[in-house]
Amino acid sequence: MDALIEIKNATLRFRIYRNRTPALKEAVIRVLSPKKTASEEVIEFNALQNLNLSIKGGDRLGIIGLNGAGKSTLLKMIVGIYPPQHGSVHVKGKVTPLIELGTGFDHELSGRENIYLNGALLGRSFKQMRSLEEAIIDFSGLEDKIDMPIKYYSSGMLGRLAFSIGTIMEPEILLVDEVFSTGDAQFVEKARNRMDHLISKSSIVVIVSHSMDHIVHFCNKVVVLNKGAVVAEGDPEEMVEYYRQNIANVGAAPAPYKPASPQPALTT
Amino acid sequence: MPTPLAEATRNKIETDSAIADVASRLDQQPAITSTESFGFFLFRSLREMTNIKFALASFVVNNLRRRYRRSVLGFAWSLLNPILTMCVMTAVFSILFKQNPKDFGVYVFTGLLPWSFFCESVVAGSGSLTGAESYLKKVYIPKLFFPMVTVATEAVNFASSIFALILLAAVAGFHFTWTCVLVLPITALLFAFTYCCALFCSIATVYFRDFAHILRVGLGAVFYTVPIVYPVAMIPADYRWFYAYHPMARFVELYRLAICEGQIPSLEVWASPLVVTVVAFLLSFALLKKTERDIIFRL
Repeated sequence: MDALIEIKNATLRFRIYRNRTPALKEAVIRVLSPKKTASEEVIEFNALQNLNLSIKGGDRLGIIGLNGAGKSTLLKMIVGIYPPQHGSVHVKGKVTPLIELGTGFDHELSGRENIYLNGALLGRSFKQMRSLEEAIIDFSGLEDKIDMPIKYYSSGMLGRLAFSIGTIMEPEILLVDEVFSTGDAQFVEKARNRMDHLISKSSIVVIVSHSMDHIVHFCNKVVVLNKGAVVAEGDPEEMVEYYRQNIANVGAAPAPYKPASPQPALTT
Repeated sequence: MPTPLAEATRNKIETDSAIADVASRLDQQPAITSTESFGFFLFRSLREMTNIKFALASFVVNNLRRRYRRSVLGFAWSLLNPILTMCVMTAVFSILFKQNPKDFGVYVFTGLLPWSFFCESVVAGSGSLTGAESYLKKVYIPKLFFPMVTVATEAVNFASSIFALILLAAVAGFHFTWTCVLVLPITALLFAFTYCCALFCSIATVYFRDFAHILRVGLGAVFYTVPIVYPVAMIPADYRWFYAYHPMARFVELYRLAICEGQIPSLEVWASPLVVTVVAFLLSFALLKKTERDIIFRL
């Protein structure tokens, strides 16, 4: 099966409740009083607007843009976390998201138990996890601490465990959100090799990064996002150049692009 | 005029393409198909549920593990806890109401255990989606997963309590018949009903956070309408018709007939629980279908 991501006219609207959550009381008041009370303070904004993307097998797509441009949201829409209000998203192939590593880690449980828990949340079966368990522990380098509750782990160790679980299988579609370095220097080297390997093995890779070097190194196609819309699309070098000149540097825009080391997307 | 053969071939091709269509729609990311029939929605929900059964098992096991972690007796508590509670309550009540502890205890707990299972599941289940925000925003998990985790965890507790009850009653010399086996289908039905209610309440809580609190009070009131600590015979005959329709009263009656009376419950007793379960199922899944794509934006 050939992997495919087809996004047509997708608009994703977020609703932000300013100071309260919707309550039954207000619903009752709204029904009872004919006048619309202005109590519902809701701000709506389009996180993604009329997005069209077609990603085929073999594509290595980079997504660049300022903070809040909708890059991570786009990845989450592809995973299925956020369904678009308009338009459609069609995904064919098994998606492995390296977006939020270590989702569902339970701090009371041991590292080994968390491997199974996290794997389960990533949609793996028990059999798969049992056969992968040793390889995960081995790669994380946590053999001697794996049966200890992870609340005693350092953040670097947690990151290593999360990365090892997330990257153990070769995916069809790989979504990467700034996951390039975790843990100490020794592990970073290992992690980089593993990422190279995964990217080369996946049918489709979508990378979100602020590191233009990574983008140019890995991608054959780049999309520039600005305020939820695709503003340019094409060859990586050209797009990076375009982004630097037209978006990252424009007047009141936030700090220009700095080649800072990306943060690991670890959640605890 | 098409020949029968051509007609048959065309029908075959249409069926094949329909199957291929269903298959291709299932290959997509689940939350993203927008227009689908209720039947297809149920089919897809079932498929999603079977796809994540390992995650379900992990969550339930971890919930239980966490509860008994670092206690000396560990999982034994899941059996000890109901045994001790039942002993204490039976002693108190049989002195208070001057009843034979053996019969009275079995009578009360065949009512109380199913009720607590239902009540705890729905109350905990109502917060299951709002409480799972951190999961729902990080990985794709079908919404029906989290109420299921809650109800399944409670069901394990319920099963061990029922087991403890039967064990305790047997030790006390209570006479059982084979009809105890009927506890299994009755529990399956109660599980389905409870899950549907928990699913409905979990979605309602996403939209109205106050719902969880109202629910708790409401269920506290409903408790007294279920003949648990009093027999239906105590109720004036004029009002007794109410208990024929009351689904939880009927569930309790099912358990009592199977465990205490050694009878096979008649269809009349099954009617209300069955009808209510079907209604709860349709309502909760219709609500889920309507809100599934919106819930994530309301958390």
